[in-house]
Amino acid sequence: MGSDHEPFEFRATFAELDEGLDVLHRSVERLRLATGRSADDRPLMLFETALGEIGSNVLTHGRPPGTERPVEYDLRFESGIVVASLTDSGPPVHEHLAREMPHVDSEAGRGLAMARALVDELGYERVGEVNTWRLVKRL
Amino acid sequence: MLVASKLSLDVQTRQTDGGVAVIVPSGRLDVAGAPALKDAISQLAKNGPPKVVIDMEGISFVDSTGLGSVIAALKEIRSSQGELRLAAPNQQVRVVLELTTLDRVFPYYATVEEALTGF
Repeated sequence: MGSDHEPFEFRATFAELDEGLDVLHRSVERLRLATGRSADDRPLMLFETALGEIGSNVLTHGRPPGTERPVEYDLRFESGIVVASLTDSGPPVHEHLAREMPHVDSEAGRGLAMARALVDELGYERVGEVNTWRLVKRL
Repeated sequence: MLVASKLSLDVQTRQTDGGVAVIVPSGRLDVAGAPALKDAISQLAKNGPPKVVIDMEGISFVDSTGLGSVIAALKEIRSSQGELRLAAPNQQVRVVLELTTLDRVFPYYATVEEALTGF
């Protein structure tokens, strides 16, 4: 039986879309088991949804053709707070950060607005040629 | 043609006696799985005005790209004078529909049977 009181850490690197998304979802499943949460735990489900959005952005826009550097992923949980970080070497994305939820007819452009709404903190930093995303949520 | 050994979304389609197509996706409707749903809808739209129910019970997770594929499906079906209904979304899918206010565009039904009633 897992516990909310035990620190949890998961690290991975990946380069392919399907592989990367599988790793992200598996990591949340491991966190769920480690903390003894149910399959329908709402805070964890909201976090996983935000992580899926940032993860798919990183794995598509953050890996332009010819990119060699893999995505680095780190997931930590301690004292009731989960923190995920993802790094990629794609182009900077500052101009997209404040994007609002688009009209209901739009087929794209919701990812960042959704992620912002689902976590307590969505951070983005550009250092050199590397983007780092940070998602924080109290579970 | 080789098919990837592990797809994030498997899509089956069946026809009811009343002529409604029920699409049954299974897996994650995300950026990797969305093309499979789009292909299934496009096939249906080629064969005349479709009435389509997407049975979402087997969808474990949806992301914004997956949602975009459902919006694209709705547009394609309406342009063919058809109609689309969603059935049996899980909690995560419902939360995403509500967060994006798409629950106003896609009123969803608790079960496939309910979605088929009067369709």
